[in-house]
Amino acid sequence: MIIENFQHRMAAHCESGSITSLLIHAGMKITEPMVFGISSGIFFGYFHKMKSFAFPTFIVRNKPGQMRRNLEKRTGVRFYSKDFKNAAAGQEALDNLINKGIPTAVQVDMFYLDYVPSWERVHINVHFLVVIGKEGDVYKVSDSYFPGVVDLPVSSMNTARFAQGSMSPKGFLFYPKYVPASFDYQKAIRKGIKKACFYMLSLPIPFLGIKGIRMFARKITDWPSLARDTEHLSHEVMKINILLEDQGTGGAGFRFMYATFLQQAAEMTGRPELKSFAGELMEIGDGWREFSLFAARIGKSRDLGADKFKQLSMLLNQRADKEESFFKRLSKAIH
Amino acid sequence: MKEKDGYAECPEQQVILYVEKEDGKYEAMQTGSYISANYLDDYFFKRNNLEKTLDEKIRKGEINAIEYYMVLEDLTISELAARAGLMKWIVKRHLKPGNFSGIPESALKKYSVVFNITVDEILKRQAGNRK
Repeated sequence: MIIENFQHRMAAHCESGSITSLLIHAGMKITEPMVFGISSGIFFGYFHKMKSFAFPTFIVRNKPGQMRRNLEKRTGVRFYSKDFKNAAAGQEALDNLINKGIPTAVQVDMFYLDYVPSWERVHINVHFLVVIGKEGDVYKVSDSYFPGVVDLPVSSMNTARFAQGSMSPKGFLFYPKYVPASFDYQKAIRKGIKKACFYMLSLPIPFLGIKGIRMFARKITDWPSLARDTEHLSHEVMKINILLEDQGTGGAGFRFMYATFLQQAAEMTGRPELKSFAGELMEIGDGWREFSLFAARIGKSRDLGADKFKQLSMLLNQRADKEESFFKRLSKAIH
Repeated sequence: MKEKDGYAECPEQQVILYVEKEDGKYEAMQTGSYISANYLDDYFFKRNNLEKTLDEKIRKGEINAIEYYMVLEDLTISELAARAGLMKWIVKRHLKPGNFSGIPESALKKYSVVFNITVDEILKRQAGNRK
């Protein structure tokens, strides 16, 4: 069967996109940027050395799952969520929900999704998609990264849902069990922005928020010494572009989506100052895009001398300065 | 970003970007992936070179097939151990080129699930380079 009245939507990001699709299906009028903004999705974190990463990397959004929990606190939405000890129990629970006509989001490792092109299939345990049906041994899947509904064999779904390793999904699934008829947008938006400013400015951890961007700027000059060879270095430098532009961010590491949220928030709350913040963040995002396009260019041309890494570092420091000033003023304006 | 600046031609990989439309509104736009449109050939070039280099290392006895797939899939020893459900020190032992023949079938099966291939493919990768 397939849940006919579920409307598949592409979205910039898998988690905010899945949540938005499920909420709209449940009758809520909300956009992906609003989900992202209210749940304080914007973030930055740099990880120079971690057991689970083969090379330094960075994140541009808050921790997976936090979006859903923040949204619950600020809008009154309630999600049913559950994880499982084994694949059989996880599959049974998912099948029961589909049989009841409930579209259900699941957490998976993207590597095992057969419909994803080979070059996009990497081990990421925090991809989210919505299961909207099952026909024989195939699930019907609404994945925000694809223009239409896609098929996924049951065996692949089980492997993807029960992959091990860091942040393993453990068959995690969720769906909205209660959606309020209305909620206080003014309050939810204010809280969402305040918390985002806190994440970016005040976390006392040297690799998170603005401090994380500055650490990235300092450490990126070490990257050549960490790579196996020039082609490996080129691959890692070009991944900067993928992480900022391609891997479900809506462009410029979620900065464009957050600017869209601020513009929508200005209209909904009647606070015109948020509109000028939206415009400013769009420009900051353009700078992030300039940085990521520069990374892609030098990666492809293998022009990876020390001067180029200094330039990347300088561009990052510029982003840190701009964002520090931006979030400080946004934080003051929202109080 | 203006709408016209976000456009890229890539039917194989579509993405959503948030852009400024002509009326000044910020909205979602469906377009092709910029990096796939412009740099996919380079990705495959590097991937093929890496596969060849790793194959050569197996042939010379510098690594074995488990490390081949571990490097190809960007996994660390800790992450591979966690994903395969094996102790890290056991994985380290399995990664020593000379120990490949001593890896039990059950462990090979676990690695094959992580790499999403068959045990036979792992064995062939190893054997193909011994000729």
